[in-house]
Amino acid sequence: MTMASASTPTVATPVAAHARIDTAGLAEKITLRNLEFFYGDSRALKGISMSLYANKATAFIGPSGCGKSTLLRVLNRMYDLYPGQRATGQVLFDGDNLLKDDQDINLLRARIGMVFQKPTPFPMTIYENVAFGIRLYEKLPKSELDGRVETALRRAAIWDEVKDKLNANGQSLSGGQQQRLCIARTVAVKPEVILFDEPCSALDPISTAKIEELIDELKKDYTIVIVTHNMQQAARVSDFTAFMYLGELVEFGATETLFTTPKDKRTQAYITGRFG
Amino acid sequence: MAAGERDVSEVVLKDTRVTASEAASRSAVLKRLRLTDTIFHGLTRTAALTVLALLSGVIIALVIGAAPALGTFGFSFFFDESWNPVTEKFGALAPIYGTLVTSAIAMLIAVPVGLMIAFFLTELCPKVLRRPIGIAIELLAGIPSIIYGIWGLFVFAPFVQQYFQPFMIDTFANVPILSTLFAGPPYGIGMFTAGLILAIMVLPFVTSISRDVFDAVPPVLKEAAYGVGCTTWEVFRYVVLPFTRVGVIGGFMLGLGRALGETMAVTFVIGNAHHVSASLFAPGTTISASIANEFTEAVGDLYTSSLIALGLILFFITFCVLAMARYMLMRLQKQAG
Amino acid sequence: MTDSSTNSSGVASANSPLYAGRRRRNAIAKGLALAATLFGLGWLVLILGILIYKGIGGLSLSVFTEMTPPPGAAGGLLNAIAGSLIITILAVAIGTPIGILAGTYLAEYGRHDKLSTVVRFINDILLSAPSIVIGLFIYEIMVAPMGHFSGWAGAVALAVIVIPVVVRTTEDMLTLVPDTLREAAASIGLPRAHMIVRIAYRAAQAGIVTGILLAVARISGETAPLLFTALNNQFWSMNMNAPMPSLPVVIFQFALSPYEEWQKLAWTGALLITVTVLALSILARSLTSPRKSS
Repeated sequence: MTMASASTPTVATPVAAHARIDTAGLAEKITLRNLEFFYGDSRALKGISMSLYANKATAFIGPSGCGKSTLLRVLNRMYDLYPGQRATGQVLFDGDNLLKDDQDINLLRARIGMVFQKPTPFPMTIYENVAFGIRLYEKLPKSELDGRVETALRRAAIWDEVKDKLNANGQSLSGGQQQRLCIARTVAVKPEVILFDEPCSALDPISTAKIEELIDELKKDYTIVIVTHNMQQAARVSDFTAFMYLGELVEFGATETLFTTPKDKRTQAYITGRFG
Repeated sequence: MAAGERDVSEVVLKDTRVTASEAASRSAVLKRLRLTDTIFHGLTRTAALTVLALLSGVIIALVIGAAPALGTFGFSFFFDESWNPVTEKFGALAPIYGTLVTSAIAMLIAVPVGLMIAFFLTELCPKVLRRPIGIAIELLAGIPSIIYGIWGLFVFAPFVQQYFQPFMIDTFANVPILSTLFAGPPYGIGMFTAGLILAIMVLPFVTSISRDVFDAVPPVLKEAAYGVGCTTWEVFRYVVLPFTRVGVIGGFMLGLGRALGETMAVTFVIGNAHHVSASLFAPGTTISASIANEFTEAVGDLYTSSLIALGLILFFITFCVLAMARYMLMRLQKQAG
Repeated sequence: MTDSSTNSSGVASANSPLYAGRRRRNAIAKGLALAATLFGLGWLVLILGILIYKGIGGLSLSVFTEMTPPPGAAGGLLNAIAGSLIITILAVAIGTPIGILAGTYLAEYGRHDKLSTVVRFINDILLSAPSIVIGLFIYEIMVAPMGHFSGWAGAVALAVIVIPVVVRTTEDMLTLVPDTLREAAASIGLPRAHMIVRIAYRAAQAGIVTGILLAVARISGETAPLLFTALNNQFWSMNMNAPMPSLPVVIFQFALSPYEEWQKLAWTGALLITVTVLALSILARSLTSPRKSS
């Protein structure tokens, strides 16, 4: 089943060359149809159409400025915080277009969580960082809250390191630990999708390895989308990869296929390091 | 914080999904939160508009209060030296003159001294001492003006009267122009003393702003000058000063704004005489000193209105100076990119 | 120039008169800079020294327990101190919320819109406006219509001085909070106002408190705005609707009087105010300095 672009474009939609994907047993969690994104008057994303499959990890790769972070931030409508930025087209989340005007954005963001490039724990204790999101939506007795916090911290593979200092300030942790704390914070709110925006670019190799391992585990329960400028990371972590260039989706396919037998010349050039 | 052992896999695998009822209650929670969101947004907007309203209010109140006086005296109000509550004839010349002269004296002293202190702090001072000395100079800005006032009246003015003024009067007795500027008798209090005290009060402003802009000069510029053999002073004079010219002028304007509006320090030592004198040693008055001294005793609407008119004039002058300072500092920011 | 001051390669040597002149000017400039600094520091020492010398003599328990005396008698400053405290607390209570909210608007909601540009400009004007003009303003809108001086008028006048200070520091401190922190809060579904109050304020709290302390320090010594709003009161008065005693105005009155007892009290009062203001400034500074340690 090839992935064709949307049927009635009003602007010339780039036709991407995609490999075949065996979609047996795959459910589409998020489907993009002819997504366009504008910073003011300038068009940053051009006619993006693709599917993100449930409980799989999809990586967005491409050179700087290709629009991969922009695309990621459309998925949880983070761009809404800034005037002058807008998106057109459709982004179907479980069949529902999240770009629609009456979308409950806060609820959306609880269902699609995000982990950022720079670890940003809240200026609170470790416990509070995780409990904050939980308390936002639910009134729980302390013992249950403790349990939920522990669950989240375990799922982020950081429980053992912080269980004795839950009252320490979140910002007193190392970079890698802070990032895992941020993952715990995201997970505590019980999202369905987790977006990672270059989560390891500010971290040392050991922390990076830990987080990549973590993402592999998280795939079992969540749909993962990860933006990375590190091709090897994409190859290690993701099931599907989308290569973007200058705001267009150039190629999309199973990671192994894309990296070994890319269909597009530009993909080939990027992967072999001819430009970056 | 669960004590004891727990099957980790059990903990990890359950509870990842939000149930339908949980989702519904989340929606409800968010609806509530969004209502307070809108209210908060409205409150911040109102507060911002309040700031706007305050300034408008000040201008309107002053104009209304000053209208009777300005209407009665018209344009001549600005050039009339007379100030007679009995005959109800008032003129702003003496206060305006005093305000301008004392501020001029203050800036003439404070600017060079302030720049040199900033030069010292940024280029010459040992690093350990930089912070303490900087803080010490800024403490001068923190001392309330009424302290300067009583200090000026009881300590500084007598000193100036006993030693400084006789010295200046004698020295310049035969020099044209200067002999009129520094003519006796040595009262101690007067425009000169007021100007000196203002200089001390304005000094920390000029110093701290100059210091900030000097620190912001890119080191490469200075290194380039040092590299061709310039002395410290030459680097300061030919590289730092020209580069920071706009910021320094902005700081100058801010200091000037402060000097123009200063009330308590000046009130104590200006002498409160509604006269325009050629000698700087003579007593005089400034706008703020006149208002401070006379407002509560002012009988009659015209008297009160004249004082408010003085206030309006002062506000207008400081507004212009501050607006220009802001403009200059804005240009500096644009320059820095 | 091929005189003895250049060596064979044409570069000026260290003995040339030109170079000597430059070195001399450099030395003079350095000397002047040092002199200027000592000059500035000297005034600080002189002022504070004399203040302590003259004020500490009158400092005794009676200053804090007795009322302001009639001319020629001994007494204290109790009612003035109490009055100042009340007016200051009220001024801060009125001015701080408005200031923080307005600063929040500038930093969060209207970062780049027209209203913010205008408000920032106006705020700067108000920040440096002569405080006596503020006093006149409040006289016009509160004292004249009410027909009498009052503690309320004094408190509002000081609040008008508090507002621009708090607006400025709040905006500056909130702007320092990185946007990624805001996005992190948004990403778990937090609406904007809650993000601001629960995350941004928390991150900027040291700075915002500093701003409030600086505002308090500023109004503690302000005399001019009180002169024709709260006026003054010889006696103990808790009635906000009547003239209210305050330390700065009492100092003003006593210092300009010919009575020695009064003048002594004026110096003591001046010392009290200065110590308070300097302590607050140092406290405010220490709150924002040790950022490096944590």
